[in-house]
Amino acid sequence: MEGDIKIRLHRLERLILKALLEMGDSTTFEIAQKIGVKKDAIEVASLWAAEKGLVTIRTETHMLAELTKEGWDTLNDGLPERKLQRILEKGPIQISKLKKGLERFDIAIGWARRRGWIKIKDDSVQLTEKGLNEISIELPEEQIIKNAAAAPVSVTKENKHAIDELVRRKILRLHIEKKKILSLTEKGREVATRVGVSAEVSKLTPELIVTGKWRDVVLTPYDISVKPPTIYPGKKHFMRQVIDYIRRIWLEMGFKEMKGPILDIAFWVFDALYQPQDHPARDLADTFYAETPSHGELPSPEIVEAVRRTHEDGWTTGSTGWGYKWDENEARKCVLRTHTTSLSARTLAKLRDDVKNGNIPAKYFSVGRVFRNETLTWKNLAEFYQTDGIVVGNVNFRHLLGYLKEFYNKLGIRKCRFRPAYFPYTEMSVEIEVFDERKGVWVELGGAGIFRPEVVKPLLGKDIPVLAWGPGLERTVMNRYNIEDIRILYMNDLEILRSARLWIG
Amino acid sequence: MKFVGTDLSITEIAEALPMLGVAWEGYHDGEFSVEVFPNRPDMLSVEGLARAFSSFIGIRLGLRKFEVEPPADKVTRVEKKISPIRPYIGMAVILDFPMQENALLSMMQLQEKLHITHCRRRRKASIGIYDLDTIGFPITYTTKPADFKFRPLEWDSKITLRDILLKHPKGIEYAHILKGLDRYPILLDNNGTVLSMPPIINSEDTKVTLNTTNLLIDVTGTHLKTVLEVLNIVTSNIAERGGRIGAVRILYPDKELVTPDMNPRSLALNIRYARKLLGINLTVKDIEMYLKKMGYEVKSSGKRDEVEVLVPCYRTDIMHQIDLVEDIAIAYGYSNFEPELPSISTIGEEDDIEKFSHVLRDLMVGFNMQEVITFYLSNEKKLFRWMEVPVEPLVKTSNPKTEEYTVLRTWLLPSLMEVLSRNQHNEYPQRIFEVDDVVILDEKTDTGARTERKLAAALCHAETGFHEIKGLVESFLKNIGIKGYRFEELEKGCFITGRAAKVLVEQDEIGYFGEIHPKVLENWGLKMPVSAMEFSVDKIYKHVKEI
Repeated sequence: MEGDIKIRLHRLERLILKALLEMGDSTTFEIAQKIGVKKDAIEVASLWAAEKGLVTIRTETHMLAELTKEGWDTLNDGLPERKLQRILEKGPIQISKLKKGLERFDIAIGWARRRGWIKIKDDSVQLTEKGLNEISIELPEEQIIKNAAAAPVSVTKENKHAIDELVRRKILRLHIEKKKILSLTEKGREVATRVGVSAEVSKLTPELIVTGKWRDVVLTPYDISVKPPTIYPGKKHFMRQVIDYIRRIWLEMGFKEMKGPILDIAFWVFDALYQPQDHPARDLADTFYAETPSHGELPSPEIVEAVRRTHEDGWTTGSTGWGYKWDENEARKCVLRTHTTSLSARTLAKLRDDVKNGNIPAKYFSVGRVFRNETLTWKNLAEFYQTDGIVVGNVNFRHLLGYLKEFYNKLGIRKCRFRPAYFPYTEMSVEIEVFDERKGVWVELGGAGIFRPEVVKPLLGKDIPVLAWGPGLERTVMNRYNIEDIRILYMNDLEILRSARLWIG
Repeated sequence: MKFVGTDLSITEIAEALPMLGVAWEGYHDGEFSVEVFPNRPDMLSVEGLARAFSSFIGIRLGLRKFEVEPPADKVTRVEKKISPIRPYIGMAVILDFPMQENALLSMMQLQEKLHITHCRRRRKASIGIYDLDTIGFPITYTTKPADFKFRPLEWDSKITLRDILLKHPKGIEYAHILKGLDRYPILLDNNGTVLSMPPIINSEDTKVTLNTTNLLIDVTGTHLKTVLEVLNIVTSNIAERGGRIGAVRILYPDKELVTPDMNPRSLALNIRYARKLLGINLTVKDIEMYLKKMGYEVKSSGKRDEVEVLVPCYRTDIMHQIDLVEDIAIAYGYSNFEPELPSISTIGEEDDIEKFSHVLRDLMVGFNMQEVITFYLSNEKKLFRWMEVPVEPLVKTSNPKTEEYTVLRTWLLPSLMEVLSRNQHNEYPQRIFEVDDVVILDEKTDTGARTERKLAAALCHAETGFHEIKGLVESFLKNIGIKGYRFEELEKGCFITGRAAKVLVEQDEIGYFGEIHPKVLENWGLKMPVSAMEFSVDKIYKHVKEI
C-alpha cells in the first residue's frame, strides 16, 4: 500500500501534503507561496490529491478591497484632508489662496471639517487643536490604503466601516474572491507523515549511479504523454523489402538465380522469344533502342539459324512460322530489355548441353529492372521491376497454375483467378488477376504461360515443356499499400520511406 | 446479344467473356467494351466476337462453313509496275447484303481496328470496301503519277494524288508509307473510275452507303499471307450478317489466284501431346467437344492418338498444334484446372553479387542510413555537367520520349544528389545509400556494355564533412574485411580539392569519397553540405573473396 501511494504521488502532491502537515489548513495561495510554485499548479495537484482522498478542498468566498487608480495616487500623495492639514500647520491661510494652491479643495475642506481638524474664521482657514494633535497619527483609512497596495485587503468587521468610506471616496473598489482551503484527511495525514520529499532530480547521471546517491534522490516522474523527438531507423526501401521477400520465395522453392545484361540485343529480348520483327512491341514508341552501342553480337550460328528458320517457316518445330524474311541486323540491335524474359531465353540457350546430358529438370528465377519508352504518368513508369521464372522438365499447365498459386499465396494474395491471355512466346498464356474489393473489378497482376515450341526448340535443341512467368512487382505493392500513383514508388521522398511500414509478407 | 443468340445478363457476360480470352473493360449505357488480344483479329468486330462467344457458351458449336460463289467474269488485273511498291491484292464480293446502319458502322470499326493491329498501321495490309454496283470488271491494280486526279472520300472535288498526300487528313496520316515514290498505287475499274488509292483513301464515286446491297472488298499489301488473312477476316465477319460471298479472279503478271479462299485449314493434333501438356485426362470425345466450342471441326485422321482438326479460315493465329491445345484449355475453362505443385526437387541458389549486396545493404542500414532506389535512366546534364566532371562515353538511347532519359547511368552519386535535392522539405540529417547497377560500355561483351554493381552513400546535414565520411568509409571497409587498403588524394570535380580521396587495394581503385563541392551543391539547388562515397561492389567482392 505504501509503495503504491508513493509511486502514484506526484512530487507536487507530496509537497502539498508536507506543507499541510506543517501549516495546518491552508489556502492554495499560502501553500504556493511556501513551496515556491505557481498557485495554478498547486490547485491542479491538490485536485489529484483530493481524488485520492488525501486532502479535502473547501472553497470560501471573501470580499476583497483593492486600490483604484485614484487610490494609487492617494497612496503617493496622501489623503486630500491630510495634505490640507500639513499646509495649515504653519498658520491660517486665506480661502482664496488655498483654492489656488490645493487640488480637490472642496474634498479636502469637507473631510478636514468632518474630522474636526479645521475651522474657518473670517476668510481664512486654520487648524483646530485636534487638527494640530492628530497631524502625525495614522488614520485607519491610511493603514488600509497601505495594506491594499501590498495585496488586496479582506473585508472584516473591524475594517468594514473604513473600507466602505474609501469605496465611497473611489479610492478602493471591492471584488469577490474564492479561496481554496486545503485540509488533510485522516488518510492524508497518515501518508504525509511517511512520504519523503527528498531532493528531486530529472536526469539519472553516471555520477548518481557511481556514488550511490541515486538512493537519496527522487527521480522526477515524467508526463508520459509528452511527444519525444522523432527517431528514424536506417531502413531498406520498401520496394527492396518486397524484392528481397520475393527472392526468398523463389529460393525456398528451389529456384536458381539468372542474371544478365540490362542493355541486351533484340535477339534475346524479342527474336528468341518468337516475337516477329514487325511486332508492335518492338516499335521505337515502346522500346528504348541504343544509339551507342547500336549493335551487338549474336550467339552461336546454330541457335541463330534455328531462330531464323522458325520465324520464317517454322523450322522443325511443327509450326507454320510467321512467314516473313528474318533480318539478322534487326536482331543485333541493342535495346534496353523490355522484360527480364530475355534472361529466361539466355538461360534456355545455356541449358542445351544439360538437356543433351539429361541434366534436367531445372528451375530458374530472376528479379530485375525492365524498361519501356514511356513518359512518366500516374500509371506508367519508364523503369520497373519484373520477376521471371522458368521450370524446364516434365511439367504441364496445372503445374504452371500450381507455381503461380503458390507464389501469390506467399505474397498474401488469396482471391486471384487465371484468365486466358496472349503473349507471342507462350501458349497456353495466362493472366493472373486479383479482385480489387474497393473498386469491384479484377486487376491484372502478371502474365505467365508455357513457352511455345517455337521458343523452346531453337534454344534448347529439343521441345520440352517450359513453364514461364514474368509478372511485374509494382502492381502488387501498390495494391498492398493502397498507392494509386505509381510514381510514388520511386519518388524517394524520405518522409514516405522513413514512415512506410515494414513489409512483413 | 442478337448475334450470340442468347439472353445472358451483363454480369454473366462480364464473367464469361474474359474466360474466352479477352479483357473486360467496362459496361456503359447498353454497350460493353473489351480488349481483344492481337492474336485474335477475327474478334475485332461485334460479329466476330459474338461468333466466338456463341460457340464458347455452347450455342453454335463447330465450324462455320462459307459457300463462295465462283468468280465468273469478276477479274482483277495486277500490273507489273505495282509489284515493287505494294505487290499483293486479294478481293471478295458479298451479294444481297442486308445493309443497315449498324452493319455499316461495324464494318468501319472492323477496318479501323484491323488497320491498326494486324495490318501494322496499313503498312503491311490495308482494306477497302466499295459499292459493287458502281464498279465494272475487270478491275486494274496499277500505279499513277502524282498529278493523277480523283475525288477521295470526304472531299468536294477531284484533287491530285500529290495533294491527297499533302492535304487530305488520311493522306497526311499515311503518306510515310508511300514516301519517296513518284507513282502511287491505284485501283481502277473498266471505265477508268477510281476505286481507291491504297493504302490511303477510297474514292467518293464507289463509296458504300445505306443503299448498298452488293459489296466489293479489297485488301492490298506487302505480305501476301497477311493480305489473304485480313481478306478472310473482313469477308467472314461482314457475312455473319447475311449475304452471299463471291470470289474474284486475280491475275498477277506471273500467276493466278482466286480469292477469297475460305476453306478451313487442316491441322493434325496429337492427343497425347494435348493430355500431357494440359495435365488432364481428356478422351477424344472431350477434345472434340472442346474444339467445337472454339469453332473447330474434328475428323478422324486414321492415325493412332491423332485427330484432324479443321481450322476456320479467319483463325490466323493457329500456327502449331499447341494453339489448338490452348483453345482446348480455354474451352475446358482455366478455372476448372486443379493447380498442382510438381515434386521437382532442385536446390535454390542465389547469385553471388546479389548475396553480397544483401550483406552490404544490411551494413549500411546498420550505419543508420536509408536506402533509396533510383532510376538507371538518366541524362548527361545530371551525370556529368551538374557533377562538374567531364562527359564520359556511355550507353545512349536513340529514341527517348523525354529528355530526362537519354542515357544509362555510369555512377550512382548523381542519383543520390537528385534524391537529396528533392528532399529539402524533409527533416535533416539525411543519410541515404543505394546499392544497385550502372552500365559501362565494354567492347568485350556481346552487347557492347556491361552491368556493374555499385554502392554509394551520402550524408547531408549542417555538420557533415570529409571527416565524417572518412569515418564511415573506414568502418565500412573494416566491417567487410578489406585489409591493406590505402587512401590517396583525389582530384575530382564533384569534391572540394584536398577533401577527397580514392581508396586503393594494391593498385586497384575500389572507390572514392569526399566532401561535395559547393558548386555542385549549387547546381543541384542544395543548401546543406554533403559528403559522399562510392564503391565498386564487384571489385570489393573480388578482394573480399581473395582473403
